[in-house]
Amino acid sequence: MPRTFDATNFSRRTVLALPLGLAAAASGARAAEPKRGGTMVMIVHPEPSTLAHYAVSAGNIPPIATQVYEGLCTYDWDQNPQPNLAKSWEVAPDGKTITFKLQEGVSFHNGKPFTSADVQYSFMEILKKYNPIAPVMLAELVAVDTPDPMTAILRLANPAPYIMKALSGRDLPILCRSVFEGTDVLQNPSANKPIGTGPFKFVSWERGQSVRLDRNEQYWKPGLPYLNRIVARFIPDAATRSAAMEAGEAHFAGYSAVNYADLARMKTNPILDLTTKGYEMTPAQSVLELNGRHPQLQKKAVRQAIAYAIDRKVILKDVMFGYGLPATGPLSRKFKTAGLYTDAVRQYDVPDRLDIANRLLDEAGAPRGPDGTRFALHLEVNSFGEQWLRQAEYLKQALAGVGIAVTLRSEDTATWLRRVYTNYDYDLNEPFLSQGVDPVYGLNKQFLTSQIRKGVTFVNDTFYSNPEVDRMLGEGAREPDAEKRAALYKEVQQILAEDSPMIWLIDVQYVSVFNRRLKDHTTGPLGTQQAFERAWMDK
Amino acid sequence: MRLARFLGYRLLLSIPVVLGIVVLNFFLIHLAPGDAASVLAGESGAASPEYMEQLRHKFGLDQPLATQFGVYLLNMLHLDLGYSFRNDSPVGSLIVDRLWPTGLLMLTAFAAALVIGTLLGLVAATGRNSWRDALISLVSLVAYATPGFWLGLMMIVVFAIRLGWLPTSGYDTVGADNEGWDEVWDVGRHLVMPAVALALFYLAVYARVMRASVLEQVGMDYVTTARAKGQTEARVMTGHVLRNALLPVVTMAGVQAGNLIGGSIVVETVFGWPGVGTLAFNALQSRDLNLLLGIFFVSACLVVVINLAVDLVYVCLDPRLEL
Repeated sequence: MPRTFDATNFSRRTVLALPLGLAAAASGARAAEPKRGGTMVMIVHPEPSTLAHYAVSAGNIPPIATQVYEGLCTYDWDQNPQPNLAKSWEVAPDGKTITFKLQEGVSFHNGKPFTSADVQYSFMEILKKYNPIAPVMLAELVAVDTPDPMTAILRLANPAPYIMKALSGRDLPILCRSVFEGTDVLQNPSANKPIGTGPFKFVSWERGQSVRLDRNEQYWKPGLPYLNRIVARFIPDAATRSAAMEAGEAHFAGYSAVNYADLARMKTNPILDLTTKGYEMTPAQSVLELNGRHPQLQKKAVRQAIAYAIDRKVILKDVMFGYGLPATGPLSRKFKTAGLYTDAVRQYDVPDRLDIANRLLDEAGAPRGPDGTRFALHLEVNSFGEQWLRQAEYLKQALAGVGIAVTLRSEDTATWLRRVYTNYDYDLNEPFLSQGVDPVYGLNKQFLTSQIRKGVTFVNDTFYSNPEVDRMLGEGAREPDAEKRAALYKEVQQILAEDSPMIWLIDVQYVSVFNRRLKDHTTGPLGTQQAFERAWMDK
Repeated sequence: MRLARFLGYRLLLSIPVVLGIVVLNFFLIHLAPGDAASVLAGESGAASPEYMEQLRHKFGLDQPLATQFGVYLLNMLHLDLGYSFRNDSPVGSLIVDRLWPTGLLMLTAFAAALVIGTLLGLVAATGRNSWRDALISLVSLVAYATPGFWLGLMMIVVFAIRLGWLPTSGYDTVGADNEGWDEVWDVGRHLVMPAVALALFYLAVYARVMRASVLEQVGMDYVTTARAKGQTEARVMTGHVLRNALLPVVTMAGVQAGNLIGGSIVVETVFGWPGVGTLAFNALQSRDLNLLLGIFFVSACLVVVINLAVDLVYVCLDPRLEL
């Protein structure tokens, strides 16, 4: 009987994808008829400094900006591109041109019709020039041709298969040409009054309180959206954010706006529920970076010893409250879906790991002194929240176990970033690294020799430099064949895990807390970072 | 006429004070390591050196410090507080938007603390060593020792989550579009808990100062004289003791008005109240120097004005003092 489903690869995929998608879309609710109207209040934390989503890629902007700005594509649960502002597309066999046929009858919130000229302008004049991810994601983009108003052709210097993963409104939003043309893009008034094609229109921003978005009556997808209004609320205090959810004042808190420590309590609240869905395309890892210029840390054996000394399960349980997975290597498991993740690398989480660590340190010429200490290091505490201090405290304790004395140093964000990424005045650093939609983003940034760039935050600050890795990452970026590409990245992961320039701690899992009255809020792998066009409130 | 001359003289004196604060703040702030561009780029995950150069140029951070200071002073002379690049908005309008909620919260808390505090102090002093006195002393001691943020969180748990009487946080109900008295009622409901959390500490201080002050006055000769004239105890209190006893409380209140701006940062954060305190905190965290300097300037002016007002209140209370 199941054989019939195996007739083609395509049908099997569809059958598998369907129940998954439905289960996620329902999110605890029975399939019910969507109701129109209502206001959804979501908590966004921290308050964005700007809504200029195209020029600043901070994670707190997309939950608001993607309601207004759309991309050429959306993504299904298998992370395959689906039509949005682009109806269809074709990648040329040599991988150097991508032709998009655009959706007709779409207009921006200012009434201007959407055409290929907007696509051309967005990519070439705004995203390529000002978007922080562009130096990687759009490095190969040479030009956008517009043979007619409904066709846009991306011309690439070399194949760039990863672009097809980055076409959502979150990563490469489409902006209105006439709003920006002839103005200074970074000073454009629409930075804080966004004008897009999306299901919700920007209405107002009360600084320190909320952003209000109203239903776009002229939205091009018939019948959508269901909600009349979305209000994004900003509450600086973590306990108060949780309280607002518990009191039913807010209906959605994505991107871990509610502290991990409070999640267990949220779970027992009858009006609330949790989901870890909607972050499939938001991979991130917490890591421990080692300064490769430190006399001890430049020895591979010492770095490996530190990797053995840390029990990731303790961090998972006590810092992340069970959300996430112990990291095995330089890529998050979220890349499993794309077939790029491998766990066939050197394993550090083994039963006799402490013995191995001690032996490695002895052999590396770092014997224990009379007080049991081998050498001392400073750890820069991540300033982005209280949980990182807890992680730092554990790391100190774990490393003391193998004879490395660690002193914690807590500073505010600006001071911390300056110390680590400009002055390189650090030994250990515990940043949180988002990995983007393709390994080309996360891996290149952290491990390419060319990414040792003084003064640039969250790039290669471990001074890792391996010509072999440089070569393979370069090839991997341009390899259009999926299998060959996977093989390249597999080898890169093995080399990196062996060299251990940093210690990968946790594959981070964000959590959304939602009110049970809110339905269909998480309908795809981009979760809170895509439009709530299908979300609705049950009475 | 005399009043006008007094005010003119005092305002003239305050100009160098405010100017000194402005200059000192400017250089103090630039001692902090890191700049707005690196914070902004840090939040973006990664940025190219070109992008950061672009930001620094836009923010004017690539100019020498002396030039930056000159530009800043020139702007200040035109009463232009500058532009917050991080917020893509003029500093003046950012502060003005927040001034009303902060003012509302401060004045409510301040007035409540002053009125209720002095009353409690008076009641305690008139019944010295009675159960009333003991109770008020106990309550004010507890209020004095309780941190505002803890009190705020406990009130949220009890009144917002358990009882559901009051909203947890915010300035008004977002997206409700209330108008007229509905809006006043809505804001009032949101104001209750933050105002109480902010007021309680000061209330305790005023109650204790007032109690001590009244007890001191009651032993004075002029009180004995008033009693000898046959005035009732109530009349002695309201007509003679109260006015004199209030002087130390007013002094205390004047000094603490400045503190109230600072103390409100914590309460504003807990209750998500869109005030100047949280604005200042965020500005410091993100090295938004123009905004921070603007806030310092405005609060310095506020403190100057409040001190002036306190001096005027003295004169009203005690005719022996002259302008």
